[in-house]
Amino acid sequence: MNKLLLHSLSLVLLSASVALAEDKVPLQTKLPDPLFVGTPVPINLPNLEPQLKKWPEFMVPAGTVNLAKGKKVTASDSDPVVGTLDLVTDGDKAGDEGSWVELGKGKQWVQIDLEKAANISAVVVWHFHSQARAYRDVVVQVSDDPTFSKDVTTIFDNSASGKDRPYIETYLGKLMDAKGVKGRYVRLYSSGNTTNLMNHYIEVEVFGKPAA
Amino acid sequence: MKNEEGRNSVGEVGVQTGSPASFVHRWLIFFAIALLALAIRLPQLGGRPMHTDESVNAFLTGKLLAGEGFYYDPQDRHGPGLFVLAEPLVKLLGTKSFSELTETQLRLTPVIVGSATILLLGAGVELFGFTACIVAALLFACAPLPVYYSRYFIQETLFVAATLGLILAGGRMLKTHSVPAAALTGGCAALMLACKETAVIHFFALGVALLAGRIGAPDARPATADAGQKPAGPKTDIPIRKPIFIAAGVFIFTTALLFTWFGRNWQVFAELCRAIPRFAARAAGEGHQKPFGYYFHLLDPLLILSLVAAAGVYAAICDAFSHIRKPGLQLVIYGVVVALIYSAIPYKTPWLALNLWLPLALLCGFGVAALWDLIKNPTGRWGVAIAGGALLATLSAQTKELVFDKPADEKNPYAYAHTSEDLLNLPLRLGELARQHNLSNPRIAVVAADAWPLPWYLRSFSQVGYWQPDQVAGEANFFITTTDVSGKLAERLKDYRPDFFGARPNVLLVLWSPPRTNATAETPPPKPQP
Repeated sequence: MNKLLLHSLSLVLLSASVALAEDKVPLQTKLPDPLFVGTPVPINLPNLEPQLKKWPEFMVPAGTVNLAKGKKVTASDSDPVVGTLDLVTDGDKAGDEGSWVELGKGKQWVQIDLEKAANISAVVVWHFHSQARAYRDVVVQVSDDPTFSKDVTTIFDNSASGKDRPYIETYLGKLMDAKGVKGRYVRLYSSGNTTNLMNHYIEVEVFGKPAA
Repeated sequence: MKNEEGRNSVGEVGVQTGSPASFVHRWLIFFAIALLALAIRLPQLGGRPMHTDESVNAFLTGKLLAGEGFYYDPQDRHGPGLFVLAEPLVKLLGTKSFSELTETQLRLTPVIVGSATILLLGAGVELFGFTACIVAALLFACAPLPVYYSRYFIQETLFVAATLGLILAGGRMLKTHSVPAAALTGGCAALMLACKETAVIHFFALGVALLAGRIGAPDARPATADAGQKPAGPKTDIPIRKPIFIAAGVFIFTTALLFTWFGRNWQVFAELCRAIPRFAARAAGEGHQKPFGYYFHLLDPLLILSLVAAAGVYAAICDAFSHIRKPGLQLVIYGVVVALIYSAIPYKTPWLALNLWLPLALLCGFGVAALWDLIKNPTGRWGVAIAGGALLATLSAQTKELVFDKPADEKNPYAYAHTSEDLLNLPLRLGELARQHNLSNPRIAVVAADAWPLPWYLRSFSQVGYWQPDQVAGEANFFITTTDVSGKLAERLKDYRPDFFGARPNVLLVLWSPPRTNATAETPPPKPQP
């Protein structure tokens, strides 16, 4: 009797898994060519983000697309030092001169208006990948409020108060799990980097589906 | 190039030195340019982060302040030349220990030496002519390359000053057989060797230039004879052997005095011998390989100076073939030989370009003097003056950008493997963390194959230990590692919080801080200082 119950339970779980799996597909994005000149920085410490060798396998609901492509970008620095804000969502991740925007010194943010509320599965950001550098206090938030004064969900935070770990930029970008959070605006903070005090964005992709 | 009055084409224009008044005028002009050079070099001396090489030199200065002698390290160091000047200067400024040293105090030595080089050019008027020296002085005062490295606590600026001293004193010795000039010649050569082992390249190049000059223009008259300038002095009956022996004696004595650090370390000669294969291996590149034309791009990216210098080369050759001026041709030969040798050696760093700046600046001076002589009408001369002014303004604008606005920027060609500005935050962050953890005297363990320039930036912390990655690091409150440390240390650090800091382009360090306990977490932050 118990054996029959166990088999039935296993069958139910397997069916549920298959059903769930049918809704999920691996997240795909077009990666830029690596730009590292010289020896890549090896990462062998347990408390650091491991340096990825390839694009990570990350499952998202079928029909998920990059909602940020071509969308309007605003920023705390309305007059960037280098480049223009539209570079953040123009689809060019090459990472060479002309493909990134540089915001001023210290804490700065960029914000993407998805135009409609969406269920967001993941955010992928490329700050700068032509050399080994880490950006400080990277925080990514989602909200329906364009001023981010209410209903803010933090999906990534490696500042001193956050639980996420610092990481080194590579051509693979940084994939952040948004866990399907609903919101129209995505805001990304940083506070300079390990080379200088400036803040850079090559590209930001926001993967999700328009909210029902 | 010979003009109508039969004068040489370089050096006759400007203040004549035949009378006491003109002598005073000449020196007033060179003092004014030296003051200008000093004024350009002094601002924001401490603003740029300390390069690794500067931090090594700072550490050695700190050891001297602590009463230790200078011990030559054949592996990766240079001679004691820089420290002979730097140690007394920082003492004069009241500094007693390594931890009290500042970037400004240390960089004052090359700043003063770089400005004093202008005065040496003033002393070179008899040899090279007034116009050539004044143009070279202005280029040294304003151009980005000499200004940048005159604010860099490394040996190059002193080396170039000593090279110019050797050329001037040697020229005078050969012309007048003067004993003081011979002693100065030996002293300058010893100072060059005590600065950098590459002095042998310059000795060779000067030897070639001297021989070629003797072969090429045996009857050449002294430059001053046709320049309307006061002759340097009559030749004496003293045979040339005597000053040469004196110069050699002073060279040997001074070299021994400096390298043994005034008699404290007689092992140094064996170390110097051991350095020869080491430097031969280094010449192959060791990661610093650059193409043949690397220095030319650094010296003259706009190719304007090269054109002016080419006119100077032409004028010097014409003068030599007219049996007027030997020093011009010899300078050309010296410059060409040095440039070829430095360019042929795969190992290249941008500060080595300063060695080529000296002949380039003087050859530009020859070129301007030749143009000035060629163009007789006032309008044309105004044109030359305006073009010269525009060139100086362009160089000054480059100096502002490269020396003051973006001194450590990766795109700055002089900021080579430079320490990132981000590293300046590391000691501040350590101090902040120490306060948060209620640690008045934190223990810091640095585990890295190459820890420089951390000893400089951690000099205010009294308990800092340094380990290689394969060694077992001691107990510490905070750890600083490279990103490739593994094994037992990785296990020890698994609960620590990492913070990245940029040391140099593509070189990151990780500061590991322990998790804060409730007690330490509740410690209020320090009140801001008024």
